[in-house]
Amino acid sequence: MKRKLWQSILLYATVIVACAVVLFPVYWMVVTSLQPPGSLRAYPPHFLPPDPQWQTYIRLFIETDILRWMANSAIVAVAATGISMVAAVLAGYSLSRYQTKSSENVGLFILMSKMLPATMLIIPLFGIMRSLGLMGSLWSLIFAHATAIVPFATWMLKGYFDSIPNELEQAAQVDGCTPWGALFRVILPVAAPGLAATSLYGFVLSWADYLFARTFLANNADSWTVNLGIATFKGEYQTDWNLVMAASLLAALPIMIAYLFLQRFLVGGMTAGAGK
Amino acid sequence: MTDLTQPRPVTAPVRRSSGLFGIDLASPRHARKLGYLLLLPAVLLILGILVYPMLLAIEISFHDVKFATLSFGASEYTLKNYVKLFASSDFWNAIGVSAKLLVVVTSISMLVGLGAALLVNQQFRGRGVARMLIALPWAIPEVVAVITWLWILDASFGVLNWMLLKLGVIGLPISWLNQPLPAFSAVTMVMVWKGFPFISIMILAGLQSIPEEYYQAARVDGANVWKRFIWITLPCLMPVLGVSLVLTVLWVFRDFSIINVLTGGGPVGATETLAIMTYEEAFSFFRMGYASALGVVTLVICALISAFLVKKTSHAVF
Repeated sequence: MKRKLWQSILLYATVIVACAVVLFPVYWMVVTSLQPPGSLRAYPPHFLPPDPQWQTYIRLFIETDILRWMANSAIVAVAATGISMVAAVLAGYSLSRYQTKSSENVGLFILMSKMLPATMLIIPLFGIMRSLGLMGSLWSLIFAHATAIVPFATWMLKGYFDSIPNELEQAAQVDGCTPWGALFRVILPVAAPGLAATSLYGFVLSWADYLFARTFLANNADSWTVNLGIATFKGEYQTDWNLVMAASLLAALPIMIAYLFLQRFLVGGMTAGAGK
Repeated sequence: MTDLTQPRPVTAPVRRSSGLFGIDLASPRHARKLGYLLLLPAVLLILGILVYPMLLAIEISFHDVKFATLSFGASEYTLKNYVKLFASSDFWNAIGVSAKLLVVVTSISMLVGLGAALLVNQQFRGRGVARMLIALPWAIPEVVAVITWLWILDASFGVLNWMLLKLGVIGLPISWLNQPLPAFSAVTMVMVWKGFPFISIMILAGLQSIPEEYYQAARVDGANVWKRFIWITLPCLMPVLGVSLVLTVLWVFRDFSIINVLTGGGPVGATETLAIMTYEEAFSFFRMGYASALGVVTLVICALISAFLVKKTSHAVF
């Protein structure tokens, strides 16, 4: 099926225009962060900064707590992803191998957990965290995020485990593996792409949270995550758009990089449970 | 291991259709126990942080609670919150805004998502890169996305107004966030930008699982591009489209970050969805009972919508 020349040109043009439109906000973030303050309000706007101002980033590190916010976000995201992965690997494995009949109910349950409005859950959780003394502590966020990740992560991993033939563990167990050994030494290595995709999903979910951070951590500026910090910071530095955009870019960067590396796995991972 | 050499007990449950159990572990009973044990950590987390708070929220909604506290047990049960809710015009406004947003954002996101997936499913050089880039907004945190859009939408110096003026679409700069319709459009724009990549990712995976033979056979039978799309691509995509639709609907309905940072629900309630109103009532006015009642109503509506959608697409979804 050979394409005619005009068809090829049309295809490439469409792809380029589509990507340009979708990526424009990201591009604008980069350009604005490098703009000297004076040309932020230039008319017409400068689409390429004539004189890139890298010191905006240095100013950002000195004047704001962005590095601490990013560290807090990283701690929360790693811990929440870690906890939820342990729970989701075990649960997904169990659903795939032991509870094969109930998987339809599990699907509905996962859907149900997606239906719970976080804005409702957060009202009692606010009281619970306060009586546990976790208000302002990163732990409140870690548990909330881990729970938000578990249902969908379980579903994704179950899909992966379903695609691994049973005979693999059976062979391992005939060779003397315990059921645990079979899971950790045989199944998990085979499911590595699935684990990568699911972890990325969890990390992105945790890193993006604003609602829980805003509600649990607002009173303790030391434990702010990057989204909370930037939202507050935006309120203070209303007009310093170059600084605000530099901070935004830094906040998005870790996730964008992880996404670029793991995107291949993600495509299969998200639909592993659903698309069969 | 040992049971390979021992004769099977006559009482072994023959009901089990799959051969999963018996062989692997000493007895099927133990295998089941292990199965439940593996579920335990996930179940505990979900019970503690999803189910218990949900029940608590339902309980709070029947009490007249003003502050964020768990010591409401002494107060008596009352329907006051619900009565007040259904009599409030703000509530009906929020229902209307949520419904409008749901229809507009979901339909546009699904169309854009499908279009993008079909585009990057074509054969061309650099396809991998295009696939990666077109779904990039998925990876950008909502708050960061919204703040970037706030700058793009800036009434005086925003680049969007400049482009629209240059193209002659508008005669005067639009003050995007201070008028009802532009504010609603701005929320729609940001939500579609943030939401369509997930749909694209799902649909792309669906497209890749359609066997190429189907298309070859159709081509032999003389079906043109459009017919191949209607009779092969769409039916094969139905499961994925169903899941994407349900997940997108629930996302739009419950989203907080985008609207909160972009418009805060304003101007004059034009973008105040149920989720935004719930949070405002709880954490700006500290009417916890009232806010919980709002949350419960939101939950019920979510449940009804997804029950309806799952029924419509049930053969496809699970």
